[in-house]
Order: sequence, then C-alpha cells, then structure tokens
Amino acid sequence: MGEAKPENWIRCDETGKEMLSRVLSGRPFIIPAPPLHRLALRLRNVVEISGPSNSAKSQVLVQAVVHFILPKEWAGIQFGGMESKVVFFDLDCRFDVLRLSQILTHRISETCGSIGQIAFDELFHDCMSRFLYVRCYSSSDFLSSLKELSYQIQRKDETIGTGLRLLLIDSVGSFHWIDRSNQLRGLCKGKNISPQSLQEAIVHELHELLLLQPLLVLATKASLFRTETPNEYQSTGDRNLLFREYMPAVWQSFVTHRIQLHPSDELLSDGSEPIRSYTSDWLQPSVSIKDRFIVRDDGIFLT
Amino acid sequence: MMDTEEEDFKSRLAPDVTPNRQLPWLTGIELLSDTNQNKHFLPTGLEGIDALLGGGLRQGQVTEIAGPSSSGKTQVCLSSATHVVDRNFGMVLYLDTSNSFSPFRISCFVNQLHPSLPKELKETSLQTIMSNIYCQSVFDIFALLDLLHHVETTLKHTVKLGGSKLCLLIVDSVSSVIAPVIGGKNSQGWCMMASVGVLLKRIAYEHNIAVLVTNHMVGGENGTLKPALGESWKGIPHIRLLLSHGTGNNHGTTTVLKHTLMVSMHLDHHEIWSKWVVFFSVLEHSSVTGRVLYVAGDSFAYRTHASDTN
Repeated sequence: MGEAKPENWIRCDETGKEMLSRVLSGRPFIIPAPPLHRLALRLRNVVEISGPSNSAKSQVLVQAVVHFILPKEWAGIQFGGMESKVVFFDLDCRFDVLRLSQILTHRISETCGSIGQIAFDELFHDCMSRFLYVRCYSSSDFLSSLKELSYQIQRKDETIGTGLRLLLIDSVGSFHWIDRSNQLRGLCKGKNISPQSLQEAIVHELHELLLLQPLLVLATKASLFRTETPNEYQSTGDRNLLFREYMPAVWQSFVTHRIQLHPSDELLSDGSEPIRSYTSDWLQPSVSIKDRFIVRDDGIFLT
Repeated sequence: MMDTEEEDFKSRLAPDVTPNRQLPWLTGIELLSDTNQNKHFLPTGLEGIDALLGGGLRQGQVTEIAGPSSSGKTQVCLSSATHVVDRNFGMVLYLDTSNSFSPFRISCFVNQLHPSLPKELKETSLQTIMSNIYCQSVFDIFALLDLLHHVETTLKHTVKLGGSKLCLLIVDSVSSVIAPVIGGKNSQGWCMMASVGVLLKRIAYEHNIAVLVTNHMVGGENGTLKPALGESWKGIPHIRLLLSHGTGNNHGTTTVLKHTLMVSMHLDHHEIWSKWVVFFSVLEHSSVTGRVLYVAGDSFAYRTHASDTN
C-alpha cells in the first residue's frame, strides 16, 4: 500500500513525441501508386476497391504488386519500391501473369535505361520471386489457405513467412452466390458450418493474420447490384454511382478504407487514339477530389 | 520434427474445414514458366479475331463471344474446332445446346484449308479431323454441370498415352442453358451459373484447355442490346468479344469488351485475309468508338453462312 503512491498513477509512460516515433517506425506510411495515392495508407489498413465490371480494379492490384516487389535501390539505381513480399489470393481465377511481367518489364526499362540482359534477368527474377500466388476455387479453399499462411508465418518459413507486407484478394464477392445458396439450402459438411460462419471465420483469420504480421490488405469487390437513384443524382457528368452492399456486416466493419472505381463515358485522346478513362472516388474516408486515370500498357497513369 | 508440426497443424485445421486438395503456392517465376510452357494460343482460323485476341484462344482462359442471332458465333466455334484439330493441337469437345453443330460447315472449312489436295487425301484429312471433334448435346444446366464434372474427373485420371489430349472445350451456347434458370428472387439459378463459371475456369487452368463459350444478347437500357446473363456473369470470362451486324449486308463487326492483356485501346493493324468481311473497333460497353479497320474477305462464304440457320 505504501509503495503505490498516487503520483505513480498519473506519471506518464511515454511522451507524445516518443509514442509518435514508436508508432511511425513500427507502422510507416505507404504512398502507393495511383489511383490509391490520395491517402497515406499504413500497414494493417484494409482497403476495399469496388466498382462494376470493367473498371480496372484488377489493374490497380497489379500496379500495387509492382510497386511492392521492386527494390528500393539496385546497383545504384533508385527504384523507390518497397522490396517486400506480396501474396495474391486469386478467388476470381482471372489473374494474368503476363500482364504483371509486362508492367514490371516496362518499369525496369524506364528506370534503368539500358542495362545488360543478364542484369535485367537477375533483377526481374528477384522481383518475381517476391510475388506469391494462390488460386482458390471456393470459400473453404480460401479459409484453408489463410490458415496455412498464418501457420507459415508463425514458423517463420523462409519461402513464405518472412518479409510479407501486402496481401491482395481479387474479388471477395466471387463466391457470393454459391455461399448464399448453400446457406439457404442449409448445406453443411461435417460439423455445423453455415456459410455465414464461413465468412466470419475468414474475417477472423484475416484479423489474426494482421495481428501476427503487419500487412496492408487490398481487396477488390465487384459491384453487382445497382440501386435505383432518385432523379436529382442524375446529371450529365456523373453516372449513377450507388451500388447496393452485399458483403456481410462482419466484412464491412473489417474494412477501414473504401475506394470506388468507375469507367468514364468520356474518351481522352492520347496522341491519335481515343483511350477509355476511369474515375476513382474515395468513399471512406470521403475525399472531395475525384481522380481520373487511364490504363496503358505500362501501367496506370493519372490524367 | 516436421511431421509432428504438420500433424499438429492439420489437427487444428480439421475441425473447421477439411482441405480436399493441396493448394500450391506459386511464385511469380513458376507462374510465368508454367504459362510459357503450357498455355499456348490456339488458332481460331479467323486471323482478324486472332489478332483481337492477342494471338488466338489461350489455353487456361475462358473466352466469351457474344452477339445477336446469326452474327457468326457458331461459325467462329466451328472454325476454331477445325483449325485446332488440323494443326494437331489436340482434341476438341463441342457441347452443343441448340443443335447448331454442322458437319457440313466443318467440311467446307476443311476444303478451304486444303484446296489443292487430291480428293482421297481430302477425304482422309476430313475423316481425321471429324474423329478428333467430339460433339455432345446438352439441353439443360444440370446436364451441363454433370458433364463438366465428368470431364474433369476423366481428365484428372487420364494419363497421356501418346495420343491427343483435350485442348479446346466449346459450349455453344452457354447462355441458352443458363438464362432459363436465372432471374427472379431465388438465388439457386445464380448459384448454378457461378458453379458453371468456377468449373469452366478450373478445367481450363488445371488441364491447360482453352474454353470458348457463346452468349446471346438481350435488350438493355435505352433500347440498346447488351450481352445476356447479367452483371454477375461479366466477372467470369477472361476475354469477351462482341460480334454484331454492320449496316451493309456483308459486314460484321467484332469488338473487344474485356481483355486481360490488351488493356489499352491501341490495336495493331494487320493486313489480313479473312473468310468474312469484318471491321474492328474497340468498344466501350455499348457505343462503338475508336479506330476502324476494313478487311477484304470472301463474301461467298458469308452468303453461305447467312443461309444457315443459327
């Protein structure tokens, strides 16, 4: 009783400056490639990229992959990449590795200028081996892959576990119809697993993963259901951008940032060819500026 | 040491979910080498369409061709089947939902392929080609799902014995079996459509097969036509092409709706000979924009096609 002086209780553990420096070094800010560049993201953020079909969502993911797998500096040349591992969960099964290699080749050639073929191959090989890929054909596949990933991280497995900074999920809503129909039919295998609890288990697993290892999570979501808009929203410039949310509440509360992409009606002229442009709109936290970008062979560029 | 750890992991995994297959973790390098070695481009026989596809139908991917009736979708399917078998890529499985498979058209394509061969050799080549195309009728979605499961099981357990392997799977048209079950508030139909999609993509990727499906058109907003099967289907094929009639009586157009690789709207020009008169432009959903290219072709073949029922 005598040792616990009242002053000890209000004595501070660390000053604000110390806390800020601790937090910033543990979870540094990341400025990803456009169109995600408006907000400074940090590890343990979960960003949901939504949009209708054909709105360049998967291209945004590939762009982020290239940014993360490039080295900070290599043979004296500054690349400005994150030099860390990336794991890609392909639920949609539509990932094209040739597109990734195309963008990576363009980036290396642009930054390096002319380097020898052997050096180029070595750099390319280094970068591509930081990219890990898993295909999942059902929600239970996805869940078991997540469990295996956390197991590999705990084991500090050299091939998978260490140096992971980015986790990408292509299309969280891919199995929406299958899961929903299974839920209605009351289908379950073995013990009682309803797909509602399957979704909860997936989010729980992701949450555990984020606690184990600080990661940035980027997930795309296809906007399937367009809602009816009242007339005052329809103007000549913007199209109806309201989509109904179909992911379960547990996922919605897990997401920390939301951005919506949309293909634009206008065509910009790039030289002699008209090019389709896309708009990006941050929904959470809401930013009033909308960005416009185009997708070219060598990546995504703002206009 | 490793074994006990793995046992422990598996026992923690088992109560929640039973992993029924090994999920491989591939690095970028392994993915790239697999694509370069195993996933080749299969010719459709129509050079213009091959150019739009970036080389042809790609193994491991699902290609969709949408278009109104008698715009040539079945002709593209038959032409692809003929050319793939003729160049010894492997066998073709043609799932026919609307009795549109025409052996007569296949023999026309074979004639055009080898115009200068003597009659006996033409006969033999026709026999060989016909024996490598397997045609099966399916009339509803349950039969389709059954058949696809059966194909997958057979492929898993077949060892290549030096004969040809299945390399192209055509479903003409997938929309006529899916469209009757979707729509309405019940989600069963959408679930079956999603299952067909997952199955086609799995068969394509795991067994290095190109899948070609056709889709019809329905009325959209403002009276324009749009591909059928709705928003959820758009996320399933890798590549989507749109065929449509032009204003002239001999012209058709082919436009790219979605592509995994050719994301920009620049298309290379090719001076190509094609069996049809086609011109190409790049589409932004339903309005036609962009560069157009006229290609001269053989109008006789198109007139013959126009008299076929499609």
